[in-house]
Amino acid sequence: MIELKNIYKKFKDKVALDNLSLEVKSGEIYGLLGANGAGKSTTLNLLLGFLKPDSGFISMVDIKDGSVIKQDRLGYIPENVNLYPYLSGVENLDYFSKLAGLKFDSEQLNQFLLECGLEEEAFYKSVSEYSKGMRQKVGIAIAYAKNARVYLLDEPASGLDPLSSNELSSLLKRMSEKGATILMASHDIFRVRETCDKIGILKNGSLIKEMFSKDVSSTELESVYLDFMKN
Amino acid sequence: MINIFYNEWRGFLRNKLFIFFITFFIISLAVVTFFGIIQNNKQIQSQKDAHSHIRAQWDEMEDSNPHSAAHFGTYAFKANTILNSLDDGINSVTGVVLRLEGHTQNDVAFSEASQSLIISKFGKFKVSLLFQFIIPLFLIFLSFNIYTSEVASKRIKLLIIQGNSLKKIVFAKTFTLLSLGFILLLFTILIQLFFNFSEIELDQIVRLNVFFFSYLIYYFIIILFTVFLSLIFKNSTSALSLTIITWFLWTIFLPKTIGNLTENISPLSTRFELQEKMKKDRSEGIDGHNPFDERRVKLEEEVLAKYKVDSLSQLPINFSGILMQADEEYGNQVWDKHYGDLYEKLEAQKKNYQLSGFINPFASLQSLSMASAGTDLIHHLYFLNEAEKYRRYFIKTLNDEYAFGGSKTGERGWKASNDFFRSIKDFTYKEATFSSISHKYFIDIFCLLFWLFSLIGLIIFTSKRVLIE
Repeated sequence: MIELKNIYKKFKDKVALDNLSLEVKSGEIYGLLGANGAGKSTTLNLLLGFLKPDSGFISMVDIKDGSVIKQDRLGYIPENVNLYPYLSGVENLDYFSKLAGLKFDSEQLNQFLLECGLEEEAFYKSVSEYSKGMRQKVGIAIAYAKNARVYLLDEPASGLDPLSSNELSSLLKRMSEKGATILMASHDIFRVRETCDKIGILKNGSLIKEMFSKDVSSTELESVYLDFMKN
Repeated sequence: MINIFYNEWRGFLRNKLFIFFITFFIISLAVVTFFGIIQNNKQIQSQKDAHSHIRAQWDEMEDSNPHSAAHFGTYAFKANTILNSLDDGINSVTGVVLRLEGHTQNDVAFSEASQSLIISKFGKFKVSLLFQFIIPLFLIFLSFNIYTSEVASKRIKLLIIQGNSLKKIVFAKTFTLLSLGFILLLFTILIQLFFNFSEIELDQIVRLNVFFFSYLIYYFIIILFTVFLSLIFKNSTSALSLTIITWFLWTIFLPKTIGNLTENISPLSTRFELQEKMKKDRSEGIDGHNPFDERRVKLEEEVLAKYKVDSLSQLPINFSGILMQADEEYGNQVWDKHYGDLYEKLEAQKKNYQLSGFINPFASLQSLSMASAGTDLIHHLYFLNEAEKYRRYFIKTLNDEYAFGGSKTGERGWKASNDFFRSIKDFTYKEATFSSISHKYFIDIFCLLFWLFSLIGLIIFTSKRVLIE
């Protein structure tokens, strides 16, 4: 479970987050929508532990055993997954998994990549030959293989084609069904609506609207989002 | 940490440019080390031949007057040791042969004539040149972006989220680069051991260890310094520029400036001034007391009293030999005074230069490198002292033979036999063991460790405070 309470964060003269409070329940996928500079990345960086709030309270707890989830138990997918270009997709996944203390055999590694939508013939090719979308899929596989309790995703579908984006949505849903808590920051209204259980709209560092995706259609969500952005 | 280390190496080995450079370095090191050993062994052999030749001349000397033989003199060779090929140090400047004769203490002269053409044309290409200048530059170019490249690609976040602290990442990468320096150093040491195996003694093993660890620590310092700057600047270009500027300061600007400064702090007399002062002290007495004529009169009285005779012609021995030895001993006092001062000043200059290691680790490295190869000032002064000790023994033996060997005062044509000349011991110089003079390098070792631990501390401190966005 992720909980942010009354978070305030300022960079020099600019208020990045202003009294932000949100909660993502265990097994829930939460989509954070907002324009550039709305505070999405700052929120993720606070949860990732790279930033500290000026005030407020952050907690990430595994409800299974009540333990606090620290940095090393998070799954993270950045907007641009930059892998080691001299390694293949499988080698990158193997390396990052080993860094997390996980050791998989080649069959398991291949399976993770397959589930994340990477085509089999690309597995052993050098990442320098990958498209942005292919790299993104390996990045997703790295986070997925970690079998984390909490996932933080920053524009995870960036660079993915519609089919791959759809596969990502399915994968995230499967992960949440297993009890993972997922917070996803995105511009992509349609993808957020398709993937997430709950949606929050951020503007100028404040959460101005929250809704359940089942209560709105994509068109309605777009219209709500645009209204808030214009006003 | 081991995973990062392994991955960095995998990256190196899949990089064609790296493979090219590392192959180039390994071949260069192999060639330079091999030819250095060959050249050094050739010099050792030449010195041995020259030494044997000089000794043979002495052994085959016909019956002669010992005083003439003292003027004929001999030579002391500062024999090259097997490790001299690592670092030429001051040898090519100071020379390696000293002429030993009566009345005068000469300066070292005759640096290898066989080398002079090569040196004047190309300079001497020693292993130390590669280790001190080329490889550190290579390491700088490899290390300046080990952190910034991860930041620029934003991979750093992924690495940290996978459970690695920034400190761990930075040190793992640093150790990867250090292992590269380690391999190049080990490679050179192994070549040395391979080609000199039969002649290696314990002292040489100690020296090779000093050489190896001094360079390894210096490389660690260079890498840590570069990484530290990249942590501060977070910008590859700034980190690289500042590291290169610092490297120039360390290797070119500071050694020259501090060298001049130490010369000004402890200035030396010119050769002419020194010779003039010694000449004056010898004839007029040290500081104007006890001039030669007075010394001679006093000695004559003492000898006549000792033998209870009234005139020199009544002496059963040759007074000229006694007088010459007395003059020699007085000359030794003059030498001790002036050269003692000179050596003290040279050692003071060396010590002051060593102290600059606190601002320039390269100074400490150079000092330890020359020390391990046995080619620095300390070793040179040790040789000069040993040669002077031998000269004193040599001249005293000749004078004693002249005085007490059977001649009487005034018998200028008296000759000592060939057996006597053969009985004079040869000068067999043995370099000082490193352990016996190691205390003179504690400053260098301390400075290198000071830099090393300071930089480790700074990196640990900085890596905890670096903001990753």
